[in-house]
Amino acid sequence: MLTDNILRNVMKPGRYTGGEFGQTVKDKTKINARFAFCFPDTYEIGMSNLGMRLLYHALNQMPDTWCERVFAPWPDMEEQMRSNSLPLYALESGDPVKDFDFMGITLQYELCYTNVLNMLELAGIPLLAKDRGEDFPIVVGGGPCTYNAEPLCDFFDVFSIGEGEEALCEMVRLYIEMKSSGSYTKAGYLRELSHIEGFYVPSLYRVEYNPDGTVESYAPLYPDVPGKIRKRIIKDLDAAPFPDTFVMPYIETVHDRITEEVYRGCIRGCRFCQAGMIYRPVREKSPDRVNEQVRCLYEHTGYDEVSLLSLSISDYSRLSHLTEKLLEWTDREKVSLSLPSLRADTFSKELMDRISSVRQSGLTFAPEAGTQRLRDAINKNISEEEILRACSLAFAGGKSNVKLYFMLGLPTETKEDLDGIRDTAMRVAEEFYRTPGRKGRAPQVTISCACFIPKPFTAFQWDAQDSLESLSEKQRYLAEIISDKRLKFNYHDAYASRVEAALARGDRRLGRVLLECRRLGMRFDAWDEFFRYEDWIKAFSAAGMDMGFYANRAFSTEETLPWDIIDIGVTKRFLLSEYNRSRESKPTPNCRESCSGCGANRLGGVTAWCPKASE
Amino acid sequence: MVSESVRISFSKTGRLKYISHLDLCRTMQTAMIRAKIPLRYTEGFNPHPKMIFTQPLPLFAESECELLDIRLTEDMPHEEICARLRKEFADGLYINKVYEPLSKFGEISYALYKITGFESARERELEELLSGEIAVKKKTKDGKEKVIDIRPLVRSLERREDALEALLGAAPDSYLNPDTLCRSMCERGLGKGAYGILRIGWYRGDMSPFE
Repeated sequence: MLTDNILRNVMKPGRYTGGEFGQTVKDKTKINARFAFCFPDTYEIGMSNLGMRLLYHALNQMPDTWCERVFAPWPDMEEQMRSNSLPLYALESGDPVKDFDFMGITLQYELCYTNVLNMLELAGIPLLAKDRGEDFPIVVGGGPCTYNAEPLCDFFDVFSIGEGEEALCEMVRLYIEMKSSGSYTKAGYLRELSHIEGFYVPSLYRVEYNPDGTVESYAPLYPDVPGKIRKRIIKDLDAAPFPDTFVMPYIETVHDRITEEVYRGCIRGCRFCQAGMIYRPVREKSPDRVNEQVRCLYEHTGYDEVSLLSLSISDYSRLSHLTEKLLEWTDREKVSLSLPSLRADTFSKELMDRISSVRQSGLTFAPEAGTQRLRDAINKNISEEEILRACSLAFAGGKSNVKLYFMLGLPTETKEDLDGIRDTAMRVAEEFYRTPGRKGRAPQVTISCACFIPKPFTAFQWDAQDSLESLSEKQRYLAEIISDKRLKFNYHDAYASRVEAALARGDRRLGRVLLECRRLGMRFDAWDEFFRYEDWIKAFSAAGMDMGFYANRAFSTEETLPWDIIDIGVTKRFLLSEYNRSRESKPTPNCRESCSGCGANRLGGVTAWCPKASE
Repeated sequence: MVSESVRISFSKTGRLKYISHLDLCRTMQTAMIRAKIPLRYTEGFNPHPKMIFTQPLPLFAESECELLDIRLTEDMPHEEICARLRKEFADGLYINKVYEPLSKFGEISYALYKITGFESARERELEELLSGEIAVKKKTKDGKEKVIDIRPLVRSLERREDALEALLGAAPDSYLNPDTLCRSMCERGLGKGAYGILRIGWYRGDMSPFE
């Protein structure tokens, strides 16, 4: 049992006590299915996640289903749980996760996989799906990593591919029906589930490998099991289930505010970006609906900060209409608005004025690459003039800090592109002095460099990641040439990026690596203070696997990819043509300019910017 | 503009003892907005509601007499404020009453605590504790440790039924964190470390109750 003594020995005990305003508590005797929604990271991160809020609400809308929250315990709490034999429990009821009907785990980033296994272990649930009898919960995965969840196949019973608001409810309903009619067996249920669009039951497929280690084929074990799993989407976002309140955390979370989704998908087709492909087609909410939902959330949560969420907010077709509507009342009520994910090319004076009425000290833009040639190759359709114009507007508006995001190790990158990173930042700094009406002393331009990671379902999915030596060399080179005092240089850890690349493009055989990770006691690898590259090397070698095969190998465009079994709407043919255009540094127009035939329109959807999509 | 001051007395018990003072402030603010209390905001670049609390509770301590002063921009009956706020809290936070403040927090000299977990402490041991200095180590702002005597901040410490009652300094310049006293008592072997603290009242220097 969770005792005072345990909580006195951990940091931030409020992470583990639940009982917040807005949580859903139901009468257990009237419930047919209990769902433990697990977020494999800390409470503060999980509670900030919009997807979790949406799905918690969608599941709890069903009268006979009770969805509760579970987060990964911080190592100090894990130690207490292990030494006091306290199993992983859900916050609302305090009941052990093992007693639930479903353990749903959201997979947001690859480095949290070690937490997934640790949470299964802490719950007292056998790690391997094949070792779990009828009495254990159905372990279901969802979220962006399920577009290639092959490394996790051994541990999950099923994956929900795509948007889950409707799919998860169908999954639970089928379970309740089969249980009440007495026809339920776990195997029978999973087989039945595989017939519903968007559900991938990995145990129903046999994978064969070629002698060179690449995948030869995926074959369904039975004729009724589909050969490809198509992702689910919500066709009409205005009509989608929407939570009118949030669980209000007592302790401060990462995004302790209203987050309101404005649209899904992205009209851009950046060739490194997975989100830009997997969330297609673009579907917008109407400004009236967004305004109404924000207003409702303000009244029901009491948050005085609103963040408008999307992949690129300035691409929302009716942004000025929306901000006008919102500002009609937010100013009066002292509610501040923030617009993350700004693009430099559509950043206007008007937009600047609107967001400068709120607290924000600096602005961030993502040129991603240092030269026009490379920006064209990655299809980041943005020119240096546009970057400078946007920064100039920001300076004129009183900002003196600008942060620029770049990527190192992009396909086709040369030394010229690295020099271009510095040159772009220098010109931004110089732009400051040319800006009339600028304020403050000197500008501060922060260059933040991530490492390119080839991701499934992108035009660069076949590309090799740069080697560690090469990435480190490039980081050293940049640190050397970026010497101006007004420029600051930050970069991401190349080691963690390599592990992320290997897991992102991994196949089922990496399950063995993850088991080794658990044996080594690894967890919280998404956190710098716990990530240990040596441990990953140990785990890979103990499992007899080579990280380089997955991270640093150029995949052939002929080979079967582990994620070919998933259909995201966007076709492989389109991705290949994008790959080819990138080698010629040819950009592709965005969906608003013209349709490039990516294929996502086959999924339907009520949308503003995919002219070919229809209901 | 009307600027009526309103005092809110509330309890913070149960699982709320794991919530820090800073987190409580945020919780209060969102609850006030939900309840549509016409709060007066501070002027300036970053306006926030005016809320003044009595001495913060340490983590793991409970209270049935926390006080919070707010100011309103328009009239609202006290009963209505009370009724509206009660709906906005989950278990552990409870509004006792809402009323017009007749005196300022500056008049508070002591807080009264009910302390459990020291049942085995003998009368003689308590007397001994109070008979001389109670030296405790304290970290100063620059990170150094220094030893201070908290005895002058303990007005009384008595056994009442199965618990102890402690009257401790609670003015800004003579505040004693009840947890400091309890820890010191544990170090002297008076308890085993599993103690509970409940704040039950406020007093002026002349021992008249403050509310």
